[in-house]
Amino acid sequence: MASKSSSEETLVKTATSARRESREWLWSLIAGVVILAVIGLVPLSGDQASLSLWTFIVMYCVLAQSWNFIGGFAGYAAFGNVVFFGIGAYAVALVMQANGSFWMGLLAGVVVAALFALLLGLPVLRLRGHYFAIATLGVAEAVGQFIQSKNVGATAGEISLTPPNLSYQLTNTLFFYGFLALSLLTLVATVWLSRSRFGYALVAIRENERAAESLGIATYWYKVGAFVLSAAPTAIAGGLFAYWQLSFDPTGEGGAFDVNISVAMVLMTFLGGAGTILGPILGAIIIEYLSQYTAIAYPGIHGPLLGALIILVTIFLPQGLIRVVKELVRSPAGVKQSYQTRFREGVRRVARFTASNGI
Amino acid sequence: MTQYVINWLLLGCFYAAVGLGFSLIWGIMNIVNLAQGSLLILGSYVAYWSYYSLHLNPLLGILVSMVVLFCVGWVIQFLAINRVIRAPFLVTFMLTFGLDLLITDTLQQLFTGDYRAINTSLAGAGFHVFGARVPMLNLIVAVIAIVLTALLALFLSRTRVGNAILAVGMDRDAARLMGISVANMYAVTFGIGAALAGAAGAMLAMTLQFSPIFSSQYTLFAFVIVALGGLGTPWAALAGGMVFAFAEEFAPLVPAIGFGLDTAIAFVVLVLVLILRPNGLLGKPFYS
Repeated sequence: MASKSSSEETLVKTATSARRESREWLWSLIAGVVILAVIGLVPLSGDQASLSLWTFIVMYCVLAQSWNFIGGFAGYAAFGNVVFFGIGAYAVALVMQANGSFWMGLLAGVVVAALFALLLGLPVLRLRGHYFAIATLGVAEAVGQFIQSKNVGATAGEISLTPPNLSYQLTNTLFFYGFLALSLLTLVATVWLSRSRFGYALVAIRENERAAESLGIATYWYKVGAFVLSAAPTAIAGGLFAYWQLSFDPTGEGGAFDVNISVAMVLMTFLGGAGTILGPILGAIIIEYLSQYTAIAYPGIHGPLLGALIILVTIFLPQGLIRVVKELVRSPAGVKQSYQTRFREGVRRVARFTASNGI
Repeated sequence: MTQYVINWLLLGCFYAAVGLGFSLIWGIMNIVNLAQGSLLILGSYVAYWSYYSLHLNPLLGILVSMVVLFCVGWVIQFLAINRVIRAPFLVTFMLTFGLDLLITDTLQQLFTGDYRAINTSLAGAGFHVFGARVPMLNLIVAVIAIVLTALLALFLSRTRVGNAILAVGMDRDAARLMGISVANMYAVTFGIGAALAGAAGAMLAMTLQFSPIFSSQYTLFAFVIVALGGLGTPWAALAGGMVFAFAEEFAPLVPAIGFGLDTAIAFVVLVLVLILRPNGLLGKPFYS
């Protein structure tokens, strides 16, 4: 079984992995569509509580998927993407308060958020690492605080809208499918990105920005592009959230600029696998489901549990589930192994992989 | 106006204490410790407990808080952060965020979000300089903050352990070749950083109010202070604290800004400094 020398094994592996990876995007796309299609069956159950739960889950899928563009592909740790969510929500609120239609508000939200991402990205994308993370976090906090203290939309920014002229059930189902369609669209965009020149440039920036620059990639503009790309779906999700929830605050728990939404995007993408196609969707489903479950089952210790979950994920799964599973099932090509041996080897590889970040 | 200047100087020294531990952890280990604020509030609770349950002198409470927080910090680094120290910075960023959530929410569950403070006999004491009042307690806190900054600088430059910490910060692998236990030095560094947060927390409990809900605010303040001052030396935290306190104290006096925009002010100042002086005011690219 282990008769081949290790160098020979590596050679065989590299030779076949190129071919195997070339189809990976297709399988990821199919798996993603299947997952979303299965989620799409939820409204058939007719249970309003689970419909609301899954609407939140799909909303977070969209948010994590769009964070993946800047955080996963370009590797820039944007910690304030909730600002685009909030802009989308407040655009819908302000347009509808001025007797405009919901669609106008949605459009306005996307345009304003994209412009904001462009204008914000120009200075902050010159910063790197921690500085970029905190600067984006700060902008999100500052915009939320500004809306609250300057009474944008309503006193202290506490919006309430009139519900659409439809039955309660139908409205909720429509919003669910709205988020689902948006998630599907973002999935397709992610697949496109992972196979386009734009996406390759972003990955090059993530792996080594200076080397990418020296190869003639206009890194700065690609980063700004990724920032705008991640802002647009987030703003649409914010607009949908605004009209779905009808009333919301600017800051604090459940607010449109709640910093925890930013953190959730990062955590979900991380758990699934940053820079992968399926990762954000899986991460969003797992974390939002667990989070909603514990919030109902153990309301008192919801926060500490979430904190402990974040700690465990970052220590044991810093590369994400997708990559761990891949590492687990990878088998050296051309070598016949029993399933038992393959599993044992896989576990050993994963253990080494997980421990590789420690001292 | 004199009053504003005095308030500014006293607040600046306190802010230096807030930023000190954060600066050490960031400078040596390249970790932005988002749990700094929650460790600070934990320190406030330890000081509160040692004053009201053990009936210790509040100044001694600062010491108790530092010792307890040193142990907490040592354990956190040894058990958790050391396992991911070589990962991309976002991993440690998320890890410390998780710690922050865990500590803050546990404190909130145990002690509720009530505002607390230590009411010492010195609370009302003070004297007047040029017609402005200098509160005794804040003056003591400011002096302690400066002493702590000086002690940290001396510790790093004059003691064997301090030199080992600097060596680990300069080059991890070379330090290991010289026989320094990197894992242990990291744990000690985080412990000292946490102890300094504990000292700041005890000072906070003596001069102002504390509650678990303030923890993220103090993490933010620590970040801004350190980014303003730069990472080069402990004294940079003092410079950063002074600049930040200046913005906090004088910006609301401009009529167009007004009160209630603390966070926004902090960030505008931060972004301006990052764009104009990316290494901070006194910063060298390296902690030494």
